[in-house]
Amino acid sequence: MRVHQAGSHLMHERGAEVDDWSWAKTRRRLGLLWGLTQPYRRRTAFSVLSLLAATATALAPPYLAKYALDDAIKAKGGTQLYVVVGIFVGAGLANWAMYYVETYMTGWVGERILADLRVRLFEHLQRLSLGFYERNRAGVLISRLTNDIEAIDQLVTDGVTSLVQNSLTLIGTAIILFILDWRLALATCAVIPLMSLATAVFRKRSARAYAAVRERLGLLTATLAEDIAGMRVVQSFTREQPAYDNFRAVARRYRESNMQTVVLNGIYFPVVDLLSSVALAVVLAYGGHLYFGGTLSLGTLFAFMLYVQNFFDPVQQLSQLYNTFLSATAALDKIMGVLDEEPEVLDRPGATTLAQIGGHVAFEGVRFTYGRGDEVLHGIDLDVPAGTTVALVGHTGAGKSTIAKLLARFYEPTHGRLTIDGVDLNDVTQSSLRRQLGVVPQEGFLFAGTVAENIAFGRPDATADEIVRAAQTVGAHDFILRLEDGYETELGERGTRLSLGQRQLVAFARALLADPRILILDEATSSVDIGTERRIEEALRVLLADRTAFIIAHRLSTIRDADLIVVLEHGRVIEQGSHDELLAARGLYTSLYGDWASDAA
Amino acid sequence: MSAVPYRATFVRLLGFLKPYRVGLIVSIVLAVGSQAAQIALVWVTGRDVIDKALVHHDSHRLWISVVVIVALGVVRAALMAGRRLISGRQALDVEMDMRSGLYAHLVRLSFGFYDRHQTGQLMSRASVDLQGVRFFLGYGLIFFFQNVLTVVSVTVVLFFFEWRLALIVLAVTPVLVVLAYRYSHVTHPTLRDVQQKLADVATVAEENIVGVHVVKAFAQEPAEQAKFLRRSEAVFDQTVRANRQRATYVPLISFVPLLAQAAVLLAGARMVSHGSLTPGGFVAFNLYLGMLVMPLRALGMWIGQAQRATAAGERIFEVIDEPEEISDAPQARELPPGDGAIRFEHVSFEYLPGRPVLRDVDLEIAPGTTIALIGHTGSGKTTLTSLVPRFYDVTGGRVTIDGVDVRELKLHSLRRAIGVVAQDPFLFSASVRDNIAFGGGDLSPDEVEAAARAAQAHEFIERLPKGYDTVIGERGITLSGGQRQRIAIARALAIDPRILILDDATASVDATTEAQIRTGLRAAMRDRTTLIIAHRLSTIALADEIVVLDDGRVAARGTHDELARTSEIYREIYEHGLLERQFADAVEARGEMEDVA
Repeated sequence: MRVHQAGSHLMHERGAEVDDWSWAKTRRRLGLLWGLTQPYRRRTAFSVLSLLAATATALAPPYLAKYALDDAIKAKGGTQLYVVVGIFVGAGLANWAMYYVETYMTGWVGERILADLRVRLFEHLQRLSLGFYERNRAGVLISRLTNDIEAIDQLVTDGVTSLVQNSLTLIGTAIILFILDWRLALATCAVIPLMSLATAVFRKRSARAYAAVRERLGLLTATLAEDIAGMRVVQSFTREQPAYDNFRAVARRYRESNMQTVVLNGIYFPVVDLLSSVALAVVLAYGGHLYFGGTLSLGTLFAFMLYVQNFFDPVQQLSQLYNTFLSATAALDKIMGVLDEEPEVLDRPGATTLAQIGGHVAFEGVRFTYGRGDEVLHGIDLDVPAGTTVALVGHTGAGKSTIAKLLARFYEPTHGRLTIDGVDLNDVTQSSLRRQLGVVPQEGFLFAGTVAENIAFGRPDATADEIVRAAQTVGAHDFILRLEDGYETELGERGTRLSLGQRQLVAFARALLADPRILILDEATSSVDIGTERRIEEALRVLLADRTAFIIAHRLSTIRDADLIVVLEHGRVIEQGSHDELLAARGLYTSLYGDWASDAA
Repeated sequence: MSAVPYRATFVRLLGFLKPYRVGLIVSIVLAVGSQAAQIALVWVTGRDVIDKALVHHDSHRLWISVVVIVALGVVRAALMAGRRLISGRQALDVEMDMRSGLYAHLVRLSFGFYDRHQTGQLMSRASVDLQGVRFFLGYGLIFFFQNVLTVVSVTVVLFFFEWRLALIVLAVTPVLVVLAYRYSHVTHPTLRDVQQKLADVATVAEENIVGVHVVKAFAQEPAEQAKFLRRSEAVFDQTVRANRQRATYVPLISFVPLLAQAAVLLAGARMVSHGSLTPGGFVAFNLYLGMLVMPLRALGMWIGQAQRATAAGERIFEVIDEPEEISDAPQARELPPGDGAIRFEHVSFEYLPGRPVLRDVDLEIAPGTTIALIGHTGSGKTTLTSLVPRFYDVTGGRVTIDGVDVRELKLHSLRRAIGVVAQDPFLFSASVRDNIAFGGGDLSPDEVEAAARAAQAHEFIERLPKGYDTVIGERGITLSGGQRQRIAIARALAIDPRILILDDATASVDATTEAQIRTGLRAAMRDRTTLIIAHRLSTIALADEIVVLDDGRVAARGTHDELARTSEIYREIYEHGLLERQFADAVEARGEMEDVA
């Protein structure tokens, strides 16, 4: 029950800091991207070639316009003009075709690379051990698969094309200008320093301004999301006016930072426009001078005007690319960071498949330490015959869930060993072990998808009949049928459409259908309504029959009914035995039970 | 959507611009001015520089013309800057108005509305839809106007220059507009679908990562990979589709004007060689032609943009037009002083017509007493308590506080007198202090602390990293269920309400904490009328009287001893569940006490 904010993901900084620009790192980055293009070498080559061709053909028309005008003035007209215009149209057609191929191919390759990278990252995440997930916040990992991939998307699809195209256009235009007339070209270039200066200043300021806009928009969205989610509280406490005032204040701050971008754009773009007028004036003045000297044709002057018109565009485009490039590189680094992680729990070389087990579990002197921290289990010895229900009892941090995690081999003991039917867990493959285990987490985590899919999660090949039977056995069938589409009802994200108790029942059905020999169950601490409570108790009874079960127990009924109660404290087993045995022993359990019994009376 | 309401929505959207008429007119004048300067600039280039100065080798004239060009450039840039600053500011103002207007309405919509709409849906209207509308109203309309102006004025000038060449251009114009419009029309649904598919990928990723222990426990990594691959491929397919649309239209859109250019080049050059067109005219004509391309493309895009903005506006108006179900009656008055006597008189209520949730509930609650409401899920407990602060209005009968029908009271005055602690209390991402002082306006630190002490929250708050200034929630630290509940109780107590409504939280707390909360509640309930929805025996023990609800009716009422004798339902509830004290929590509590010691 955390405070949920729909807009909170917007608060994540799109961190554009790249700390390592060393050649080694750069090579690794390029290496990763290069490797991703390898399966699509032909298409990549196509897209590069078509990009070059498209850019080149786009540069041709003004050059041809020069000939058209010069010919016209010399009054030759005739066939040569038709040839020039023919070439003009030909260049246009070629540009169209190349542009088409380029757009399609670059897009295809770019998206393919991204899809591959996304899936590769996901597959890698699947291999990583639970320890990795406990060290890293879920939000950060999700962001790797979504925000970071999208940041690269901008670079791979539009960025690279734009970079190449604009650079080539710029260089190509410059070359053509110099070929047309180097003196006039030099004169035109006089505007470039001014242009660069204006752009550099603008780029720096606007990067800052847009960062502020993004941040404040994030805050605005988060505020709105929170207020909508908490509108009932706002109204209960009649805080409508203050909430409105607060929202307006946040909106006003967003508006203020946005106004800065308006001012920046409002100055920069007219300045660029003015510079292009100045460039035109320079071309006309100096070009006119050259024309008077008879060393420049009107056609060349005309071509210059056309080129100069298109000269400023690439500069602006390129300046905008810088930020995209930075954030994409930062994103790539973060993704590589995940790809570099190695799973801690690996199948040993020669690990065997765990055969059908009976369910006899033994902990032999098991000690465990998370990472470099303090030891949390100090020599656990347990012998649990097949079919036993074990209740783990103890306070937070006593080691209950660590024992459960070791049994599922999410971690490996640092000392001692854990066996099932005498087989050391470290000697078998993880998947063969876990296929015979069932885990029911607290609150019964469900996935988006239908009820049926959720029940069949551990056994995707289960038939509809089997799914229904499992639901019937745990007593979930009735309420499922009452949902609008029965078993085919979409549950929404994390199954939030169901109540807590219903979610638990579905999780029970899921575990039952997987029919594990060993069950690990983390009992929910939340209370549910009475009817459901009773149904859960009954379902539990069915689920536990004939299985070895480890329950992190919170309910007295569960504990009392367990075959073996293990009382843990500070990573040690303090007492173990049945309810009656422990009461007779008059130890810690007895005193706890006594406290409880007197409290309830 | 039929055409008429579509147009009506569009006109209504334009209403947002009304307060900015003057600015709008000034922007338009400036736009016209800079457009004129641009046209003049090209004119001077062709007619003066080339035809007069160059052809006649008049260097004096050349210099004058060049100075004029720079001057026109300055004028144009200045007008453009003015236009950008004015219309940019105005766009932001319109955006602010729309946001504020929508928000102002959202805070007035009642609980029923929020029951029917999910946060996500409303967020999408208030952000995505609003974005579309404000972009169109703020910038789109001005650009649209400017583009139309450019196209019309340049076309007129072209005709003036050489009508035969202008005809060629005119032939291409509609093609370009239609192509651009088609592109925007075709690609928009695809791009929206891409976003949807990306959201699907994010969902799978999120669930996989948050539920990683389940995935690993069931050894379902391969199946998850297959699922992810499928979603990821769906994104790929859709983006490639969008890409194909782009490849089809964008290169074509840049090719079409080239055809016109070629035709103009051919015809123009022939005219020049025949002497019917001056070289300057030829150059100017080509430059004007260049001026047309971008606006023509943009026109097509803006038409699509306008349609989408209207559709988005339609969705926003749906919210704005939503009636305020619960608001002050015309002659509403303040809640008179009193002790907090509550009466339900033959109250019935239904969320959906024909599905009564409460049936003829008659209940009188004496001032200062505590009533525990118990009953199965769906028996109407929460609904009953919601009628007192008028979160909903009764569909029959009436609810009175100190003798006054709640519907005759000012909402503000009514709700100020009632402290509510919901079952799953919602806290804001703010400091603990701000959360407790939420309903109280400007409470002193002492008052906040007093409320926290009363709710038994003071001690744990003091232990938080920054005490009362610790930020909680998404942007701060996470609190346990019990801690959240106690802060919610403190928040309710901070307004010193006449009536307290508590929904016993689902989240369990350990035995020690529960005992503390009970102590706190007992203090809090003194001199207040309290309604508690109880799930536990210990909570029932706090009440003077117990009311058992069953299927929307009061099934029984009395003390524990009376009900244990007379009410079957009470016995059933009492014997199951409610008795089930959570033993393991007692163990945990003991452990924590040891840790502290």
